Amino acid sequence: MLTRLAGGHVIDPANRRDAIGDIFICDGRIVDAPAGGTVDESYDISNKIIMAGAIDIHSHIAGSNETMGRLVLSEQRAPWDGFHPGHFPRPAGAWNTFETGCTYAAMGFTTVVEPAVLPHQALQAHLELADIPIIDKATLTVLGNDDFLLNLLRRHEGGVAIRDYAAWTLSTSRGLGIKVINAGGAAAFKDNLRAFSLDDEVPEYGVSSRAIVKALQHAVHELRLTHPLHVHCNNLGLAGNVETALATIEAAENLPLHLAHLQFYGYGKEGPRGFSSAGARLAEAVNAAKSVTIDVGQVMFGQTVTISCDVLRQFNARNSARPKKWVICDGDSNGAGIVPYDYKATDFFNVVQWAVGLELFLLINDPWRVFFTTDHPNGAPFTAYPDILALLMDRDLRAEWMSRLPKEALEVTTLSSIAREYSLVDIAIMTRAAPAKLLGLKDRGHLGVGALADIAVYSPGNDKATMFREAALVFKNGQLVVRDGTVRHAPFGRTLRADPDCESGIKVRMRDYYEERYGLSPDFMMVVDSAIGRPDPFEIIPCLN
Amino acid sequence: MAEAWIRGKPAPLDDAIAEAANIVAGSRQPVIAGLGTDVAGARAAIKLARLVGGVVDHMHSDALLRDLGVMREAGMMVTMPTEAHVRADFLLLVGPGLIEAWQALPERLFAKRRIVWLCPDTAAGSAGAYENVTVVGDTPAELPAIVALLRARCVGRPVANPPIALATIDALVAELKRARFGVAVWSAARHDSLTIEMLCGLVNDLNAGTRFSGLPLASADNAAAVQQVAGWMTGYPLRTGFGRGVPEHDPWRFEASRLVDSGEADCAVWISAYGAWPPTWKRDVPLVALTGNPNTIRTHVTITVGRPGLDHDSVEHLAATGTLAAASARHPEAAASVASVLEKIITKLPAARPC
Repeated sequence: MLTRLAGGHVIDPANRRDAIGDIFICDGRIVDAPAGGTVDESYDISNKIIMAGAIDIHSHIAGSNETMGRLVLSEQRAPWDGFHPGHFPRPAGAWNTFETGCTYAAMGFTTVVEPAVLPHQALQAHLELADIPIIDKATLTVLGNDDFLLNLLRRHEGGVAIRDYAAWTLSTSRGLGIKVINAGGAAAFKDNLRAFSLDDEVPEYGVSSRAIVKALQHAVHELRLTHPLHVHCNNLGLAGNVETALATIEAAENLPLHLAHLQFYGYGKEGPRGFSSAGARLAEAVNAAKSVTIDVGQVMFGQTVTISCDVLRQFNARNSARPKKWVICDGDSNGAGIVPYDYKATDFFNVVQWAVGLELFLLINDPWRVFFTTDHPNGAPFTAYPDILALLMDRDLRAEWMSRLPKEALEVTTLSSIAREYSLVDIAIMTRAAPAKLLGLKDRGHLGVGALADIAVYSPGNDKATMFREAALVFKNGQLVVRDGTVRHAPFGRTLRADPDCESGIKVRMRDYYEERYGLSPDFMMVVDSAIGRPDPFEIIPCLN
Repeated sequence: MAEAWIRGKPAPLDDAIAEAANIVAGSRQPVIAGLGTDVAGARAAIKLARLVGGVVDHMHSDALLRDLGVMREAGMMVTMPTEAHVRADFLLLVGPGLIEAWQALPERLFAKRRIVWLCPDTAAGSAGAYENVTVVGDTPAELPAIVALLRARCVGRPVANPPIALATIDALVAELKRARFGVAVWSAARHDSLTIEMLCGLVNDLNAGTRFSGLPLASADNAAAVQQVAGWMTGYPLRTGFGRGVPEHDPWRFEASRLVDSGEADCAVWISAYGAWPPTWKRDVPLVALTGNPNTIRTHVTITVGRPGLDHDSVEHLAATGTLAAASARHPEAAASVASVLEKIITKLPAARPC
């Protein structure tokens, strides 16, 4: 069947297209204009904007930690309370897998990456992803606090062993890429350290955080994975932690490295409260380090819950929980912490955090290297995306927000001096073309011939938040799934994974290791396709040539 | 052997499924309870509840909600059974019911570490059977007071009239503080939520100086996994209803036994694939049972189902790892799974909605 989307404003930066035109869909892919064949179905999208489906590279949407977060915030609430959790502008039951897929799709998102899957808990993450409709998914596997890796480093076993181990773990956990979260920090916390920085060493192993990050960066590079090592740095959330972020950027040493939710590391120690924005300094460093990419982790005001495998950080933050309850888990490797939090527009620190995120968005000048995230749900739930896009595109709107925020806090930031506004092309790069490139998804993030027909059509208007909240039309694999912001059809997508070469020696070695350390076979951590409960649940993304 | 019965008489499976669908579809307030099943069965049960506006509850929800209550109201530090296995140098076993909850507990955690058991089961064969276990406290009834005493002495507070010698308490507190990575183990099936909250408070306080964590043992009948499925599919734990089109959670309102006994529910689907435990309600209600043993419950429709991981492939909560894990059937195809039966019932419902 041939479908024509006629007369829309095509914004497709990957193919340098920014003009009125038609897009044709056949069998789930974008095709050339037919040479005279008949069009079976046509949509008039004149006066509308058409982009590829958006891709979110970092959003905690599935896994045992997310479900723990759902359960911790599951007090009895009436649907009309509108609380659950925080400012989800939806009924009380909205924070579940089904609503996650539907809400993302309504905004024009068609691929989302769950960025923190612990290898032992990967099956649950994939089961949850399988219950999220419409969108395709992918996961990042967390390494860097695991005994096996730390031992390899302690014994100086070298790059090949680390690479084989990383490949084996990716393969058991069905991940697309590898993430490291406060490298060594969770292991150090088990030994009763309460602070951990880039050049600190994990007790017993004598391995520094820097050494772990570097080893994994090289392993990812040598495995030819499409996505660079995804780093959650040390010292998240602390005043003065910009030094850690700057040191980590420097440690990239011209090899690809992705730094997650950089906003949470953009803090200096200046000002009346000893807490200030270092956003401008950090943006300058990112601008200079061409091999580094970042996502922002924007904070927005309202109730949310922070869910993180940075167990040390979450432990230290537990007493500032709002409301006062929390769960801290000393896991097998990274562990996790669930700490509810209410970002307040009257709170000095929270307002600085909000401004730092916007500074990073606006002062990093290459939209191919800065990615759009709230670190859902840590900075804000993903339902806040449309409001953030509006803030980026409209300096008057920012000024209006700032007029209602405490001046004392804004004064330790540079936000009020920034005039830049994102264009629709910038938005399309940041949320479509660049994420596809960063993840190595060749047939996504653009509207060229051969691309997957994952397409979002928006009705432009003065209220940009509404435009991005309720897409006029969304197609997934060429199927119409959303019309006028409402889900019409909810098929289930697939999960994208890497398939690096996994040498057989490592399988034997890991079996011996699990038997010796845990008295168990590693079979318990294997994600097998048949356990997922949906046909053909995975799509393999080939490694780089 | 027959697989299905309608009003006590053997019936073809398809007829039983059609009859079950009729009963559920004709109900104004169905409850889907028991939920002793694997992950696929739980997914199908919640899907069915969403389609028919039903309520989901697990036979062990009381225990699940006691642990969850502490998380929802206060705070809890926990660890994984695997991490306790490799790291714990001190094990604080708390109260009765531990071996009952996890038979492999001694094998997995009792070797090579100091173990103190507070108020173990009075029944023979409990703590006394293990050489390296020191017992503090005589009966489970003393436990709440002993845990409270430990917490008070841990932060240096004075106490009056302790039920056991203060010197014993203080010596134990000193040991807890000396532990490098201590783990407190309990089973919510045998405690009230205030005792669990007090214990979790003690664990939190111990972390002021050292590392200590908790290990709540999972309830039987795959309850931990079913609670996770409910969490991700609905956003809530069990005792959640779909009567108003969106999931709502209320531990009192959506308790299956209360709904049936009060007459609010006019139909029940009872799922017990790990054994044929009967429902806890008293009133007769049109009942569809999916169970491993058809002879124990009086029903309108009974369909036998296999044991997950034995008769069919499954995903279940694994006590040794504290995670969901896949298991391959030892006798595949020996009996139907809960999921396959529920999916067939769903296809027989009038005007099924997509979900």
